[in-house]
Amino acid sequence: MYNKQKILAILLGLIIVFVILAGCTQSKAPVGESKVRAEETGREKIRIAQQFGLVYAPLMIAQEKGFFEKYGLEVEWKRFGSGGAAREALASGELDAAFMGIPPFLIGWDKGVPAKVAVGYVVSPVSLVTYKSEIKSLKDFKSGDKIALPSPGSMQHILLAMAAERELGNANAFDDMLVALPHPDGCSAMLAKKDITAHFTTPPYLFEELSQQGYKEVLTGAEAFGQEFGFNVGLVTKEYHDKHPRGYASFVMGVSEAITWINHHKEEAAEILAPEFNMPKEKLYKYMTWPGLNYTTAPYGLIGFAEFMKKAGYISKLPQDISEIAWENISAFIGMREGSPSMMEQLQQRK
Amino acid sequence: MKKLFRYCLFVASLILIWECLARSGMYPEYLFPSTGKIFYTFIQDSSEILLRARYSLTLIFLGLGSAVVGAVILAGASISSKMVSEAVTTLMAIMHPLPGIALFPIALLWFGIGNKPIVIIIAFSALWPLIANIYNGLRSVPVTQLEAGKILGLSGSRLIFSVMIPAALPNIITGLRVGWARAWQALVAAEMVFGASGGEGGLGWLLYKRRFMMQTPGVFAGLLIIIIIGIIMENAILATVENQTIRKWKTTID
Repeated sequence: MYNKQKILAILLGLIIVFVILAGCTQSKAPVGESKVRAEETGREKIRIAQQFGLVYAPLMIAQEKGFFEKYGLEVEWKRFGSGGAAREALASGELDAAFMGIPPFLIGWDKGVPAKVAVGYVVSPVSLVTYKSEIKSLKDFKSGDKIALPSPGSMQHILLAMAAERELGNANAFDDMLVALPHPDGCSAMLAKKDITAHFTTPPYLFEELSQQGYKEVLTGAEAFGQEFGFNVGLVTKEYHDKHPRGYASFVMGVSEAITWINHHKEEAAEILAPEFNMPKEKLYKYMTWPGLNYTTAPYGLIGFAEFMKKAGYISKLPQDISEIAWENISAFIGMREGSPSMMEQLQQRK
Repeated sequence: MKKLFRYCLFVASLILIWECLARSGMYPEYLFPSTGKIFYTFIQDSSEILLRARYSLTLIFLGLGSAVVGAVILAGASISSKMVSEAVTTLMAIMHPLPGIALFPIALLWFGIGNKPIVIIIAFSALWPLIANIYNGLRSVPVTQLEAGKILGLSGSRLIFSVMIPAALPNIITGLRVGWARAWQALVAAEMVFGASGGEGGLGWLLYKRRFMMQTPGVFAGLLIIIIIGIIMENAILATVENQTIRKWKTTID
């Protein structure tokens, strides 16, 4: 009896070890595969994450127009529900590139996920909206009010903490009022005026809510941050950056070309993407030309977010230098001015 | 005593394997934290963990409690009336395979965001296995025991409490075990998939927050408390009930 159990325990232990080892080799296999492919065909392969929302329009256009293929890059697209899920896939080696907000990226960087900023991506309006007429500023929220945002640690959560610190002196003032809801669910709860008082959201949901009678902005992202900031950045893993320099360069050029094209052809882009967003092309065009929306590969606010998040305890360390969190093309673009910081360097800070 | 020793030895060897893997440096901390780091996080976060655990247990007891009351009423009615029995059996065939969490989007629409839909989903998840087990238990009371009871002059409620329920107790306890497990599944899944509101979230919300902050040791610390609560429930409460009742009456082997 005693021996039998001992043997069983050892067997169980061995099985666990094997399962874990198997998982390890599996996660490394795709990288080797893509290498072989590249040598055989002269083309590079990349796995890119894509989420939902208006800010992903340039990626969708790149897909339609074949902007990555033009530079010899074969793309495998993977859909994710949130930046957090994309970050998990990045951490487990299932992805080479992903797009997410600066705060989720910094949380991953702080924990040691080996990826850096390869491109800026978009500057976008993001606001806290309410339908309650008595709420005019953050001070007017009472206990019992509920504020919906996508998840803890999201761009919206950090912006709310920044504003709470500035206006109420306590970054965690609203933590007990938060409700984590995906954008579409939050939007429908807002329109039904049910359960939640306010929603911190992004286009197209933001535009949808603001088009309603009596819905207004309590706080804009720029007010919370102090100036403009990048809503999303594109990341590439260290593994891919180091082992596929050609693939990396093609990725940066593909995104750049897609952004340049969309900025000059918004009408045509709206026409191409209207079925994907399931809305009339006139409405999509209006949303894509909303004041404040700026598709650009320049990063804004990288250091400003890091400094606040370190101070408020969301991350444990600060990047000493931009090159710790961004690849060469970005750190060279920002530069390092001798003496006082340059304009580009100042844009990475908070005001 | 020897059994307890073997039990500890087994758990210790699992922890040892875990620690070896974590220290081998094969995986970064955000994928595979060391046991030391997990215990440290557990101690450091203990005030929040305990608060969330208390909140989760309140929701579970609310949900499970109403499920037990509902199950007893429905199973009792099924035993006494053929028509009710058929209706309940049909309903059970429809509802039992439905995972409670699948109904959550509808519960959100009907009852709003907050704990109400969570309690209702917990009650729903636990109700069907409870009814099935209680009903089976009551139905499988040996006819000889029932007859013996009747010959001794018992009837009505005394027959139910002195003969039927004791005879059905092994099934009732099994039902409670399954119901308890499904209640936890429903609670954690609901809070993790649909989120919760910060002021009133349980352990699912804790896991959700830790996940998005990428605090993997914190996620494991949350799992640890769920395991501890499960072990206490199993060994301290259900086992005691069993020892005081069916083991004492010798209605089960061992």
